[in-house]
Amino acid sequence: MSWQAYVDDHLMCEIDGQYLTSAAIFGHDGNPWAQSPNFPQFKPEEIEAIMNEFNEPNTLAPTGLYLGGTKYMVIQGEPGAVIRGKKGPGGITVKKTTMAIIVGIYDEPMTPGQCNMIVERLGDYLIEQGY
Amino acid sequence: MEAVVVDYGSKLLKAGIASPDQDPPCIIPTKMKRVLEEGEAAEGEGTGNVEEVMIDTVVRGFVSDWDAMEDLLHHVLYTNIGWEIGDEGHILFTEPLFTPKYLREQLVQLMFETFNVSGFYASEQAVLSLYAVGRISGCTIDIGHGKIDVAPVCEGAVHHIASKRFEVGGVDLTNLLARELQKSNPSVKLDISDVEKIKELYAKCASDQLEFEKMKNSCPAEQHTLPDGQVITIGKERYIVGEALFQPHILGLEEYGIVDQLVAGVSNVASEYHRQLLENTMLCGGTASMTGFERRFQSEANLSTSAIRPALVKPPEYMPENLARNSAWMGGAILAKVVFPQNQHVTKGEYDETGPAIVHKKCF
Repeated sequence: MSWQAYVDDHLMCEIDGQYLTSAAIFGHDGNPWAQSPNFPQFKPEEIEAIMNEFNEPNTLAPTGLYLGGTKYMVIQGEPGAVIRGKKGPGGITVKKTTMAIIVGIYDEPMTPGQCNMIVERLGDYLIEQGY
Repeated sequence: MEAVVVDYGSKLLKAGIASPDQDPPCIIPTKMKRVLEEGEAAEGEGTGNVEEVMIDTVVRGFVSDWDAMEDLLHHVLYTNIGWEIGDEGHILFTEPLFTPKYLREQLVQLMFETFNVSGFYASEQAVLSLYAVGRISGCTIDIGHGKIDVAPVCEGAVHHIASKRFEVGGVDLTNLLARELQKSNPSVKLDISDVEKIKELYAKCASDQLEFEKMKNSCPAEQHTLPDGQVITIGKERYIVGEALFQPHILGLEEYGIVDQLVAGVSNVASEYHRQLLENTMLCGGTASMTGFERRFQSEANLSTSAIRPALVKPPEYMPENLARNSAWMGGAILAKVVFPQNQHVTKGEYDETGPAIVHKKCF
């Protein structure tokens, strides 16, 4: 299965009648493997900051998580595995797998819980497959 | 089906059907007595001459004895609230800060597998206390029986790196008071539960440190009659209890006082939130309702080195009087009205599919 198909079918899928706003899968080096059509323009430094946060938790919280120029307020995640950010009623979930990071951006009326379910479920599956 | 909100604390368990403007209908102690009779556990008086063991079901805010917790919840849900076996509804729990993951999973597992609830949600007490005063951002200082939590909350999410949890609480203040009273009344035998009541009646906060020093030297002494008839004198000891929160070295802790902890914690948050956080500070928990505590807190806050003065929020008029004691439960009642109708909670189907780990994904 191609990475683009993962994004289209498994991340941008319907859950309770709603969709993620956008999603993407990156490698640990910051290279995008696949992204949804309206994923925001990101900068390499932003992905690097995310990777640093996974390696050394709690570095992003004081300044905030940036992606595509948008600032997200970092909230409780799982150190080394999941970063969650909030921006008003919407937010972002980033899950780290063995070789990749999966990013899901949601907005209302989707809930943080639903976004987590989608992103983390795919993440756990990829980890199982060795990716 | 109305949701049930349960706030288990180290001393008292508050539970009831979610009704936001009222006090929790059921407030019972979490101490249990185990009657060792064929391995049964019972609450309240034991019968017959079997050995009785006092169990602290909840220690420092976390559940320590799951069998006792199960029996306690069984009593609360089926007897007090009136659920029927086979027709359980939704339940919302409150949690202290930094609850370990395995404890949350164990609670979810208990609720779905033993009690068969149809929906579950858990939220941190700091967030709920702010909901009770109508805010989604601010700082809470929750001074409970077993722990003190200082937590800045932004838009309904706790900033964990800025929060602090102290493993001291009302129970340590009671022990301190017992020690001090024993020193000044050496001939009187004091029981810990009596000291607890004395603390609630007499403990006060001096209006500032100078007054505390004055009180240490000369203070009007009062006579108090214990239930067993003994009379004790209470003088300067009553002020030590309040002072310990602002000078933790009295309790043996090498830490700053509570106001400084708050300011230190908030400085770990992005600076644009500082004003919003400090100016919406809320005191909650049983110990925070000590006479003079709020006034002392405000005056210490005015002396603090931070550019923004911490200010306390005023609870809305439609909320009952002792909001501070039960704010987490009331906030839970407010949240329950929002979360369950919108299906943001963990349902039985989702639990069956994903297992207990789902609580980390859906509840925060």
